[in-house]
Amino acid sequence: MSTRITGTSHLKSENVNVWFGERHVLKDVNITFPANQVTALIGPSGCGKSTFLRTLNRMHELIPGAGFAGKILLDGTDIYDPQMDPVNVRLNIGMVFQKPNPFPTMSIKDNVLSGLRLSGRKTDDASGLLESSLRRASIWNEVKDRLGDAALSLSGGQQQRLCIARALAMNPEVLLMDEPCSALDPGSTRRIEETIVELSESMTIVIVTHNMQQAQRVADETAFFLAEDGNPGGVVEFGNTEDVFNRPVDGRTNDYVNGHFG
Amino acid sequence: MSTSSEPTSHSPVRRTLKAKPFSRADRMFFGVARSASYFSVILIALILVFLFIRATPAFQSQGIGFIFGSNWNTSNPHHIVMQIGPMIWGSLLISVLGIILGVPMALSTAYFIEFMAGKTMARVATLVVDLLAAMPSVVIGLWGLVVFTPVASHWAELLHKALGFIPIFANTSGNFSASPFIAGWIVAVMIVPIITSISREIFSQMDRELINASLALGGSRSSTFFKVVLPTASGGVVGGVLLGLGRALGETVAIYFVLNLIFKVNWFNIIENQGGSVASMILSKFGEASDAEISGLMAAGLVLFVVTLVVNWIAAYIVNKAQPWRKL
Amino acid sequence: MTDLSAQPRPARSPWETPNPSRAFKVAAASTIPAGITTVLTLVFGIDPAVSVLLIFVPLQVIFAIAVGRNVAGKKGQGDAVLMFTSVFFTVLVAVLLTSLLWSIISQGFSAMSWHFLYQNNVYIDPTTSLEYGGVGHAIVGTVLIVGLTTLVTVPLGILIAVYLIETRDKSRSTVRTLVQAMSGLPSVVSGLFVYSMLIVSGVTTYAGWAGSLALLPLMLPTVARTAEEALRLVPVEIRNGALALGSPAFRAFWQVTLPAARSGIITAIILGIARIIGETAPLLLTTFAAKNTNFNVFGGPISSLPTYLYQYVSNGYDTSTQRAWGAALVILLLVAILFTATRIIAGDRKRPKKKA
Repeated sequence: MSTRITGTSHLKSENVNVWFGERHVLKDVNITFPANQVTALIGPSGCGKSTFLRTLNRMHELIPGAGFAGKILLDGTDIYDPQMDPVNVRLNIGMVFQKPNPFPTMSIKDNVLSGLRLSGRKTDDASGLLESSLRRASIWNEVKDRLGDAALSLSGGQQQRLCIARALAMNPEVLLMDEPCSALDPGSTRRIEETIVELSESMTIVIVTHNMQQAQRVADETAFFLAEDGNPGGVVEFGNTEDVFNRPVDGRTNDYVNGHFG
Repeated sequence: MSTSSEPTSHSPVRRTLKAKPFSRADRMFFGVARSASYFSVILIALILVFLFIRATPAFQSQGIGFIFGSNWNTSNPHHIVMQIGPMIWGSLLISVLGIILGVPMALSTAYFIEFMAGKTMARVATLVVDLLAAMPSVVIGLWGLVVFTPVASHWAELLHKALGFIPIFANTSGNFSASPFIAGWIVAVMIVPIITSISREIFSQMDRELINASLALGGSRSSTFFKVVLPTASGGVVGGVLLGLGRALGETVAIYFVLNLIFKVNWFNIIENQGGSVASMILSKFGEASDAEISGLMAAGLVLFVVTLVVNWIAAYIVNKAQPWRKL
Repeated sequence: MTDLSAQPRPARSPWETPNPSRAFKVAAASTIPAGITTVLTLVFGIDPAVSVLLIFVPLQVIFAIAVGRNVAGKKGQGDAVLMFTSVFFTVLVAVLLTSLLWSIISQGFSAMSWHFLYQNNVYIDPTTSLEYGGVGHAIVGTVLIVGLTTLVTVPLGILIAVYLIETRDKSRSTVRTLVQAMSGLPSVVSGLFVYSMLIVSGVTTYAGWAGSLALLPLMLPTVARTAEEALRLVPVEIRNGALALGSPAFRAFWQVTLPAARSGIITAIILGIARIIGETAPLLLTTFAAKNTNFNVFGGPISSLPTYLYQYVSNGYDTSTQRAWGAALVILLLVAILFTATRIIAGDRKRPKKKA
């Protein structure tokens, strides 16, 4: 397990604009994600925060009619460069989805190691990687005796942590999480939040969440997204989580974090 | 360390993202899939073009008479006459007969399974109907020839005795076998499972609320069926019927077993011992066919293909419109 | 203490007044006409077809209307007629289909024996007793011809499905339309096409592979369409999960999408085989028929079950027709096996997942 100790940021968006067909959904998003910290993206439904997250590892382009402008820099390299293979981008920037999506035909073990097989890589120490990934996702103790079982035999919360372990096995620099707890019970949610905090020691995490307590519990930085009256969405306020929630600069942020709309 | 959004003034340059395969392996993978698709397109085009080219001499030498005339005489190589009017008419006649006989049977069976039968009976009936939908037609033809023809000839004879004064039931030959009537029954037996299966599915997908509301408003079962169930399901049912028609038109061996192919138009004497079918005619003639005659058979095949295509497209259009969940 | 709300409510709907004699009346209305018809038919020796049409049907309709009216008023009258019509035609269908199935099974069994399943027909004439010869060569031929078609068509069909589902090409709708058009190709025309292109022109003699080629356009639309549906059913989240791990599209397809669609793909293959296994006309034009066992699909005439059946029906002798029934039974069994297989797989697929 490699630990990166970097003080500088290595993921950064510059003037990111996004369209679905002719619809302009995001305008001029500039965020610098601090390294080895958790950044939460919050905002009401339809503000474009999930869409923005998907631009960060080029999953956005899988939607037909997707349009894009701007730059996403990973360690200074634009991941939207025409010479850049999206497959390489996604190897470095992992993703956990809203709904747990373990591969239904694979066992728990095969799910964790699926990233290697899918990217055509080999490892000398598969069992070591299996154990360390599952440990980092805090699910090792629950599944260590049933690694050959079908992934779908796990509970929803376990499935989501399995998906986290699956992403961790690829040892990404950045981990994107799209409302990872929205389909889970409070107990599973708490465990995943603890996992997120632990993981942030070794990687940069960006998490989209609807749950403002969750953002306050796990995030170092918070970005508030808003799309007003048919205008494209954008960042209203970005800063230290405590500042955003307790001393918001913008009145709209204040309204949102205090539950006045959204 | 963290900077907040700083909107810039210049307008962004929009790119449409295509998700094109990047690696060589992916490009090959999609390339192979694309080639397979283009191959199938080329294959169907090749069949059509080839049929058309080979059919052209027959169309040219026979003219419009090929479709409308009713004479096939290839014994004189210098004056070959190939006219398939009776076969085209025969194909349509037995298909229509099959539909007239088959649709009430299919709709009744679907209604029975869906609204009257108990759970177990409905399951068994559905299973049998679906199994029969997969039954090869040559087997149905064998049954039609050996088992059904004697029975149906007897029915035809009775019909003739009772109603012979009506031209439809006229019979001058005294031979009641191998008639369009029997071929129509065979077509009905072939298409009943298909239409039943489609209708039953439509009935089962119908909004029960609608039916219950009609019943609760004091409507009887019969008025509910005719005023609510049937109109709602009609699109899908008609599509299913046309699909069965498409299958009936192309039916070859089963019809060949049970029908006497004669090159003389039998307009409506359905229990007369003569009829026609384009597909069966092709089968009956290819063995001893000369080059010129093959061209005639190709032309007949092309006509049959085009008619079937039109019927199938109309069916697909109607079914897709009526029930978007059932893709044809 | 009395709790009124705990009173049992009447189970019947208010308009369905309980009527003890109702069941009796309905039973009477459904049996008396049949009884009268049977008696009259037997006593006067009337032809059954006539008595059903001229005595039973009118009598039953009158009884149905009378009892329906008596039980449920004017509304019941139409219902009773609808019910009778539905049952009448359903019984007709049941009789026809039972006759079909029973004929195949009973007649087929009388031709059946172990040697019928493995012997060929080299020394068999149309009148040779059933103690000799069988459909062994035809089974071999069917397996080889259908097998070769399947070998070519299944990858082709799956690749077409991949093209339709996994790419965003503009020509997808054209491909879909034309593949659908292919399903409208009459089977005899497909046979005629191959006959004219390969056999008349002298490229090959009658041969198994020509038959396989004639079956290909008949099987391909079924496989492609069913496989497309199967791939469409794989949730997009699963596919995206693989891509998000940094998988190239072909590996995501091969290791994740295809295994997830496995049962649907197998169904596609089986439905495709069922579609062509009984096809006769295309094979008559391309493979002809042989009396000997031919293991070479690339050389010479080869027999198959449907062409065997056709051949022996055409002979017109009693024993040869018996042989045809035997072949029909073998075909029926093959279809039933394929059918059962699809049912089992479909059942597998419908079974709810353990966890959502």
